[in-house]
Amino acid sequence: MLTRAQLLEPLARHRTNEVVVTTMSVTRPWGRLSDHDLDFASADSAMGHAADLALGIALARPKRTVICLNGDGSMLMTLGTLATVVGARAGNLVIMVVDNGNYEITGSQAVPAAGLINYAAMAEAAGFPRVFRFDEPREYVEAVPGILTTPGPTLVQVRVEPGSEGPIGRSSEEPARYLRLSLAEWSRVFRDALTADPT
Amino acid sequence: MNGTLRALAAARITHVIGIPDNTSAPLFDTLQTHPSIQLVTVTREGEAFAIASGLWLGGARPLVVIQNTGLLESGDSIRGTAVRMAAPIPMLITGRGYAKMAAAGLTPGEARTSELLTRADVDSTALLTEPTLDAWGVPFERCEGDHDPSEALSRTIASARAEGRPRAVIVARALN
Repeated sequence: MLTRAQLLEPLARHRTNEVVVTTMSVTRPWGRLSDHDLDFASADSAMGHAADLALGIALARPKRTVICLNGDGSMLMTLGTLATVVGARAGNLVIMVVDNGNYEITGSQAVPAAGLINYAAMAEAAGFPRVFRFDEPREYVEAVPGILTTPGPTLVQVRVEPGSEGPIGRSSEEPARYLRLSLAEWSRVFRDALTADPT
Repeated sequence: MNGTLRALAAARITHVIGIPDNTSAPLFDTLQTHPSIQLVTVTREGEAFAIASGLWLGGARPLVVIQNTGLLESGDSIRGTAVRMAAPIPMLITGRGYAKMAAAGLTPGEARTSELLTRADVDSTALLTEPTLDAWGVPFERCEGDHDPSEALSRTIASARAEGRPRAVIVARALN
């Protein structure tokens, strides 16, 4: 298994102008590593709908790589999105399933079939042309540059150690900038940044 | 379908997202090969609002097309994306059960008693559609009878953009 830092730090190092959508337990950790107008926290939003929100961004901006750091619980809520992604031909979308086996922010209760689900196989069966599954950091670190640059859509399942992130909210006290504004306010910051660039 | 397509073109809609029903199927069929509007068919209607909100974030101009049963299914997706983001998402909602409701001598404003919601000659979807939109704070208009659905759709799209919030048109007749 990877630690959350082993998952996020290589991504932050290689990230240039990609959009990154986060949700649930990676929201604050990513916000501590990244302070970027093209980060979007699906927080105080619709539970389980980060991947399809990311799909919408990817379809609007087909020349821009869009990364969704999705929880396994969130992925299970909208598994049909795997088919929608393939049907929409979103070659610029990377869905990373952060597989820690639990609903971390509510106290780490186990998700259904925790530890048994092969999300990469599910995605491949749905028609994803590129899928990856990582259980240790070295192979993951080596693969990150290619994941970000090779056309997909791509699903990456990463087994991650359970953590202890609490409920996610938005307030002016939040350390992560993208959580300091309301969802509506940050949506406009993000949209302005994304649409200012024609790509 | 020409009226609807003209309304979409005039509003420069870039994407239509949803699941077809018998009323909207002709539109979905036409959009399969449309030169400038991308059709995104989803697996459940809740996805449509998240995708539409993401499209708006990326500068696109989406329209959600679903049946009112799918509206009810969408629940938290509408609340947590389009409403909470104040995203100007227009939605065309086809009105299953409105004709049946009218035939039973009922109106959308009927009290939603258990007796009414379980009557065999009443489609509960129609009874619940407008109160649900009200509950979610989504303004709407109803298009039925000899109302022009393409004009209603144009108004809905324009209002969503002007107000910076989601808006709906319930179409309880055929599209034109």
